[in-house]
Amino acid sequence: MASAIDRRSLEPWQDPQAEPYVRIERVTKKFGDIYAVDDVSLAIFQGEFFSLLGGSGCGKSTLLRLLAGLESPSAGRIHIDGVDVTDIPPYHRPVNMMFQSYALFPHMNVEQNVEFGLKQERMPRRERAERVAEMLDLLKITELRQRQPDQLSGGQRQRAALARSLAKHPKLLLLDEPLGALDKRLREHTQFELVNLQERIGTTFITVTHDQEEAMTMSTRIAVMDAGQIIQVDTPTGIYEYPNSRFVAEFIGSVNLFEGKVMRRDGDEVLVESPLGRSLQMHCPHPLALGTPVAVAVRPEKIKLCMDFRADAVNQIAGVVEDIAYLGDVSIYHVRVGPEKIVTMTLANIQPRTEQALTWGQEVAMEWSPTSGVVLTD
Amino acid sequence: MAAPVPNRPVRDRRLSRIVNVGLPYLWLGLFFLLPLGIVLRISLAEPALAQPPYTALWEWLESGMVTIQLNFGNFMLVWADDLYLVAFLNSLRVALVCTLLCLLLGYPMAYAIATAPERWRLLLLMLIVLPFWTSFLIRVYAWIGILKANGFLNNFLLWLGVIDEPLAILHTQVAVYIGVVYSYLPFMILPLYANLTRLDRSLLEAAADLGCRPWRAFLRVTLPLSRAGIIAGSMLVFIPVVGEFVIPDLLGGPRTLMVGGMLWTEFFSNKDWPLAAALAMVLLGLLVVPFVLMQRWQQRAEARGS
Repeated sequence: MASAIDRRSLEPWQDPQAEPYVRIERVTKKFGDIYAVDDVSLAIFQGEFFSLLGGSGCGKSTLLRLLAGLESPSAGRIHIDGVDVTDIPPYHRPVNMMFQSYALFPHMNVEQNVEFGLKQERMPRRERAERVAEMLDLLKITELRQRQPDQLSGGQRQRAALARSLAKHPKLLLLDEPLGALDKRLREHTQFELVNLQERIGTTFITVTHDQEEAMTMSTRIAVMDAGQIIQVDTPTGIYEYPNSRFVAEFIGSVNLFEGKVMRRDGDEVLVESPLGRSLQMHCPHPLALGTPVAVAVRPEKIKLCMDFRADAVNQIAGVVEDIAYLGDVSIYHVRVGPEKIVTMTLANIQPRTEQALTWGQEVAMEWSPTSGVVLTD
Repeated sequence: MAAPVPNRPVRDRRLSRIVNVGLPYLWLGLFFLLPLGIVLRISLAEPALAQPPYTALWEWLESGMVTIQLNFGNFMLVWADDLYLVAFLNSLRVALVCTLLCLLLGYPMAYAIATAPERWRLLLLMLIVLPFWTSFLIRVYAWIGILKANGFLNNFLLWLGVIDEPLAILHTQVAVYIGVVYSYLPFMILPLYANLTRLDRSLLEAAADLGCRPWRAFLRVTLPLSRAGIIAGSMLVFIPVVGEFVIPDLLGGPRTLMVGGMLWTEFFSNKDWPLAAALAMVLLGLLVVPFVLMQRWQQRAEARGS
């Protein structure tokens, strides 16, 4: 429990004095004419659980392979723990990787797989046996040690692969879609296990995933990638609540975007005129010139029903309920507010549904507060 | 109308099962067991100046008695005469050396093809298979032209100045090795290639990630995982080479005594069919027994592993 709190209060990326553990400096990787990774710089700190998040082909796996040394960059440098590893081959890097397919050696049993890396570094037999036992115990697969990989279930294979990649006590563990091959239930369970494991051993984890929920649950920070570039790096909360672009806002969760122009600035607040005929007043710490085209992003759960709708009020909008998706804990309402515009609103089902007033075709007014959304220019 | 319908599939299934199971057995019976029985029967007869040139196995006597004559003398002779033993050992040695040479040459070639870019693979495989489009006999004859005293190889080496007088390669054991390795190399490469293309590249990356230099990764991962291909290729080379007749006959000399040539001599020159048949049976026994034992051992090893 204490460690969980520590982890959240420990935010080295906030400290300008802190020395990053992994430093990626302007790294580019080209395959032919295609930029898989395009001028990426990134600082990752010791003990972080860092996620690279993006759709397929965004370059996240290539970036991970660059860290492992399985690819070498076309330009840029990579430092791990103060050492420039750019030209160090994978077999000499203090880094281990858990492969998406697990890549367990099919001709060796679980124990031999875990022992493999230790044998390569010529660890004495006794020490080796102890380390293997420790790893098997850590991942609770001691009884499976004599099994061949093809006699293991997906979850067991994942544990064996994890044990193998942790056995050498790497400075950095790279995980390529660590939960990708597991079914949904097992995945949710394993997410928490992985976080607990990481907190216990303190190794820096860098994981690649396309699943935003997975990244949100597990990570200290997330880098959202698109087309070989990093769009935003922030904590899960930061990514979700304060996306820096339309791309990030739409990639993580669902969002309502109201396009418009900056009409007035008033301290930290801007007034945005929307073509829907409404004024939106939003908190916005960065200075924006008048007339700048912007999008106001508001998450569906930040929208409330409005009890005193006034035609001239800010952050209020009225429409007609067009679709309702009842999910049990919450319901999602699609409200048409204009000929081309639908607003999504999520309401918690505090009362049993039959008693709720909202129904199809009903006119509703909605509102949100100036701090419950962000103003995006990108 | 409705009743016969469910019966139809049952009968069809039974028929298809008879065809599926019976056809291979029929094939094996007709073209393997029956000839094997005939050879075994001949090996137990005595040579005779007749048509066919061996004695009958049994005779009906007028008294109604049947006499069966089994002549184990041929087998005794095979063991007793050093000549046959030398031929057997020589055949095994040639086959063993050639299998190893094919493996040493074929493995890197198969590996190179399997790891070549996709668009090159078909072409490279074609080049391996291409010699099969010419008759085997012609290809072996061609080697005479290359290896003889004033052949291509000697002329080339003389021209280079590497040697002062032609090397005597033709009609030696070396020529047999060259001919056999050349002829049987594709049989080693193809199963190895089939095996190596299935190798998951991420296993090699995992090995590198865990600290293996490329060469160690090859020894610890690629090589053990290609064991099935190595065994298949080695069997495809070893077994036919033991009984090889054409290559030692054309390229070998008087000292390259192999079982294939022995069989030929006994059958066609000496017209001693029973002795030749006994030789063939012993050869079969020498080859089959170790392989069956090896397979048993391998199955047991696999069963133990699981």
